[in-house]
Amino acid sequence: MNRMLIRRSLLILAIVVVCALVILHSPVRLGLDLRGGASLIAQVKVDGLLPQQQREIVEQTRQILERRINAYGLSESPVQLYGSRGDELLVQLPGVSDFSRIKDLLQSRAVLEWYSVAEGPFTSDGEVMARHGGVLPGNTRLLTTQPGADGRRAWYLLERPPIIRGTDLRDARVSTDARNQPVTTFMLRQDAAERFERYTQAHIGQRSAIVLDEEILSIPLIEDVIRDAGQIRGARSLQEAQDLAANLRAGALPAAIEVAQERIVEASLGADSIRHGLQAAAAGLAAVVSTMLVYYRGAGANAMLALVLNGVLLIAALACFGAVLTLPGIAGVVLTIGMAVDSNVLIFERIREELRTGKPAAAALTAGFSKAFATLVDTHVTTVVSCAFLFFFGTVAVQGFAVTLVIGLIMNLFTSVFVSRVAFDWEMTRRGPVEGLSIGLPQ
Amino acid sequence: MELFRNTQFDFLGRKWWFILPSLLLMLAGLCSLLVNHGPRYSVDFLGGAVLDVGWEGTPPIERIRTAVSSRLPGVSVVAAHDLAGSNEVLISAEVRANDNLTALRQNLVEALSTVNTRYSVRSYEVVGPQIGADLRRQALLATGGASGGMLLYLACRFRLGYGVAAVSAMAHDALITVGLLSLLHQEISLTVVAALLTLIGYSMNDTIVVFDRVRENLRSGAREPLAETINRSINQTLSRTVLTSGLTLLTALSLLLFGGPVLHGFSLVLVIGIVVGTFSSIFVASPILLVWEQGLAKRGARHVALPEGGLR
Repeated sequence: MNRMLIRRSLLILAIVVVCALVILHSPVRLGLDLRGGASLIAQVKVDGLLPQQQREIVEQTRQILERRINAYGLSESPVQLYGSRGDELLVQLPGVSDFSRIKDLLQSRAVLEWYSVAEGPFTSDGEVMARHGGVLPGNTRLLTTQPGADGRRAWYLLERPPIIRGTDLRDARVSTDARNQPVTTFMLRQDAAERFERYTQAHIGQRSAIVLDEEILSIPLIEDVIRDAGQIRGARSLQEAQDLAANLRAGALPAAIEVAQERIVEASLGADSIRHGLQAAAAGLAAVVSTMLVYYRGAGANAMLALVLNGVLLIAALACFGAVLTLPGIAGVVLTIGMAVDSNVLIFERIREELRTGKPAAAALTAGFSKAFATLVDTHVTTVVSCAFLFFFGTVAVQGFAVTLVIGLIMNLFTSVFVSRVAFDWEMTRRGPVEGLSIGLPQ
Repeated sequence: MELFRNTQFDFLGRKWWFILPSLLLMLAGLCSLLVNHGPRYSVDFLGGAVLDVGWEGTPPIERIRTAVSSRLPGVSVVAAHDLAGSNEVLISAEVRANDNLTALRQNLVEALSTVNTRYSVRSYEVVGPQIGADLRRQALLATGGASGGMLLYLACRFRLGYGVAAVSAMAHDALITVGLLSLLHQEISLTVVAALLTLIGYSMNDTIVVFDRVRENLRSGAREPLAETINRSINQTLSRTVLTSGLTLLTALSLLLFGGPVLHGFSLVLVIGIVVGTFSSIFVASPILLVWEQGLAKRGARHVALPEGGLR
């Protein structure tokens, strides 16, 4: 009897030590709502495509967005598929302060093309049309530059197909030109470089157009043979040049994306939420502890041991699985605590009932635990069943709730049944079988 | 200390004393829901933009309202205070189907800076209409699925009647809570949905504890009417019910008092839910179980004796 008890106690101790190590080694990650940061849901424009194509394009977009976020030097947080329609992506950026810049970075398609100029510049598209009798010549397209300092745009007629596309790029970097202006330098792949070399050789002295996302960035004059590197000028700041380089490296988006939801939480608000939550938890715990101690005396202390251990196990499990704690997750923790208190109360009331029928302490303990266990299994399994449905049908937030709750419940069965029983058994060996239990009943 | 010892309250005999107020409350909630055309959803579900702004000193609500509403449609400006005495203003605006979500924030902030600059943006959220509709559907699907799953499990472990009674009690709780939220002009946000799920779990737990005892008492084979057995079971679990509910209520109350503005909606639902959920396992679930099983007995089905497929 005693050796078994010692073995069980050692098992509990070992689990506590492991949990403490886990928590120290990898603290629980906090969600955006607690930590501050930004998240956005981007809708990929894939209307009118076959389902198979849609899936491919959304997946490509997802990978490219992930690369862009990494290139920006942000978090390891992955971009996830979101929602049921299959065309939405969830981007989470914890701890981000400069959100509008990142949003621009993510939203621009970064389709880079290098055309040769057929005609231009014109002051309006009407002028071009008038010159060609209302129809554009074959194999050309009409694009404009960004508005200049005077707010005017220039129109150019460009020859299709482009000489270089974004897929021909090998790398892109930021440097400064002779006048100390930021420029984005790109390097070409082998085959594209050969093509470009032949082209520039044949077209020295002619104008070409660098086009980004359907807008002409610059109209460089081909002065010399260019082999494998080109420069994009016209960035208004170093930051803009850097962002362009990052996007060119990550690749162009296969389809346009539109922001369908964005959420920004300042770190200060998250910190407030945590502080408030901790205060509330402390107040609640103090109330529960004092009531349990007054009502159940010695047994109340056992319940507290179980409750605290439940909390430690839950945090360790969350840290271990890399789960992110959010506000809905805290809701799961609250329900876990509620059910943990309930488990202890159920068991203690059962033991009291058995004691009232005149059973000796040891027998009452065994009967109380085993009868209460049947009820506990039912309440816990029912909740786990409902959590399974919440997890499979629910939104991300609801899934967080379900995961936290299921972990908490499993830990609770262990602490309230196993740990609490060991604590009672220690009390029994200390007091001897003759004396009664301290469970708040008159002896 | 002992609160209840060998109590013998006739809960089922006086059930109407309790069911009637509950029905009235439900009716009031339903009326409020009808008048207001359904629950008040937050931007999470409707789509829209909400800017949470912390102000130094008392915020000039009226001036903010005029400044913002001259630029954007469907604007509401609400001051929010918590115990810590922070001065926060919640500014929300509608989002139309083809609005540019990016420009919206710029617009809001520009409107604000015309009032004065003694503020800082604490959080900003904008949800397109499409996403909102999706979330609503998904939340309903999840709740429906979870209820069905629990019904199935209880029908297998106990009997169908137990499952029906427990799920009815749960629906009763959810309905009353949503009705009360409508009466109190509280919005239903994603956090409130999490709280509703918590309350459903809690209510279920409470009901199962009573039903478990009913099943156990039936197995021990005492010859008495079912109403007696149910009454005895409620009395036997009464001290547990009161103690657990009391303790959980304490936790929820501390969350309501100290939890801050972000958790306010959540803890309010929890407080309402714990009271209603405890009440419903005794006065809603148990009578329904009784009526269901009596109906079965009358129709000549097997007498309500041992449940088949029991635990051991």
